[in-house]
Amino acid sequence: MSAAVTVRALRRRYGERVVIDGLDLRIETGEFVAMLGESGCGKTTLLRALAGLDPVDGGRIDGPAQPSVVFQEHRLLPWAPLWQNVALGIETPEAKLQAVAALREVGLAGREGDWPRNLSGGQSQRVALARALVREPRLLLLDEPFAALDALTRIKMHGLIKDLVARHRPGVLLVTHDVDEAIAIADRILVMRAGRIAASYDVAAETEAGPAPLRGKLLGELGVTLHHRAA
Amino acid sequence: MAVELSTKVPQAVSGALHEAPRKADRRRWSERELIVLSWLAPLLFALAWEALCRFGGVNPQVMPAPSAVLATAWTLVADGSLFVHLGYSLLRAATGFLIGGGIGFGLGLIVGFSRLAEALLDRSIQMIRAIPFLALLPLVIVWFGVDEAGKIFLVSLGVLFPIYINTVLGIRQVDPKLLEVAKVTGLSLRGRIAKIILPGAMPSILTGVRYALAVAWLALVIAETIATTKGIGFLAMDAREFLQTNVIVLTIVIYAAIGVIADGIARALERRLLAWHPNYAKEEGR
Repeated sequence: MSAAVTVRALRRRYGERVVIDGLDLRIETGEFVAMLGESGCGKTTLLRALAGLDPVDGGRIDGPAQPSVVFQEHRLLPWAPLWQNVALGIETPEAKLQAVAALREVGLAGREGDWPRNLSGGQSQRVALARALVREPRLLLLDEPFAALDALTRIKMHGLIKDLVARHRPGVLLVTHDVDEAIAIADRILVMRAGRIAASYDVAAETEAGPAPLRGKLLGELGVTLHHRAA
Repeated sequence: MAVELSTKVPQAVSGALHEAPRKADRRRWSERELIVLSWLAPLLFALAWEALCRFGGVNPQVMPAPSAVLATAWTLVADGSLFVHLGYSLLRAATGFLIGGGIGFGLGLIVGFSRLAEALLDRSIQMIRAIPFLALLPLVIVWFGVDEAGKIFLVSLGVLFPIYINTVLGIRQVDPKLLEVAKVTGLSLRGRIAKIILPGAMPSILTGVRYALAVAWLALVIAETIATTKGIGFLAMDAREFLQTNVIVLTIVIYAAIGVIADGIARALERRLLAWHPNYAKEEGR
């Protein structure tokens, strides 16, 4: 297997506070990795460093120069029709065709001329996914992309993202708060604590007897204890 | 696909919000009725004015009747002189607007994009802005004489600042989150300016344009009182000499009408360029 990205001894500080403290990480091509962690544990900082949006204070990142990113907000340009949003930054003559095809892939066929304001939250996030995947990225970074969606839309999006990743096979890093989401779509789940990766779980191996035990373990890692009533 | 259905939801919701306040009204006024109603008050005002002049004993030397003003307008239209004066005024306004607007927009772009340019230029520009530009009138006459150049200079100066300020503001207010998207999609600097910064700044720039149009017109009124033989302002000054109140009133009405038309053009521009913007798109029905 080839690595989509390799991170070694990554460090990032904000003033005195060390947010990422010697973090190592390797994501394989086609591997779907979810990163869980409490707020402020540095997981979004890590994602932004991988995206090249924030500088780092030490360590190495070996990966594509231009990973694709989907943010929590869709971040579509309100003044551009959907296809132009998807094709943003692609300057080949086929840009529009590629954009239309990518929109079809996320279930928005025929909507390429529409304005972003005519879309629901879930549809907007589909366009953001199309914008990320039309570039055929080697690394796809997802920063809580489904957190603002309603529960039903979120489940549909989980199915969609799994299909898309299976087809395009980028390495994926999904940053999320949602344990169930991580179990539902990831191959491997990492827990980040105090600027490092504190635990790693292989989802297929841990969920052979159903998702409940892994769920309990992960919640435990995140400091949530489940109170079971004595039977 | 089930998700397609949800397309209708935002529209239905916004429609419902739009309808809600109407329920308070006992009667539903159609758009057309409302437009007719909005013209009713000025029309009644004109009629009252006419009646006062005819039967109320108002001295036409003080306030001519609307009919007298219309008759004057017709005379000036018939001999073609109104168009000559109007042409001169519009040409001055347009030239001054293009020069001042161009400089203001250019400076706005430079300062908007570069903190260095801001440090170098902004303070000086703000200092000049603090001068009420009409106070420069005597100096303008000394510099440019009483020719076209002085008038155009004055209009340009008035137009420059609103365009400058709103361009800088518009560029600075572009959502940094969208600029991050530009970064992660590998958008070139040119693409970043053309596809994100300028469209994002456009609402603010157009606000500047709309304001500048009003200022241009104001500057023109003043500029045209300087010795001149053509233009709406000349018409007013000349009429003052001969106490032709109806011509004076006519020029005022013309100034007002062109102000309204200029504002209409600015609005049309907003609707066209900001079709994507929910606030402006909704105005279409009005």
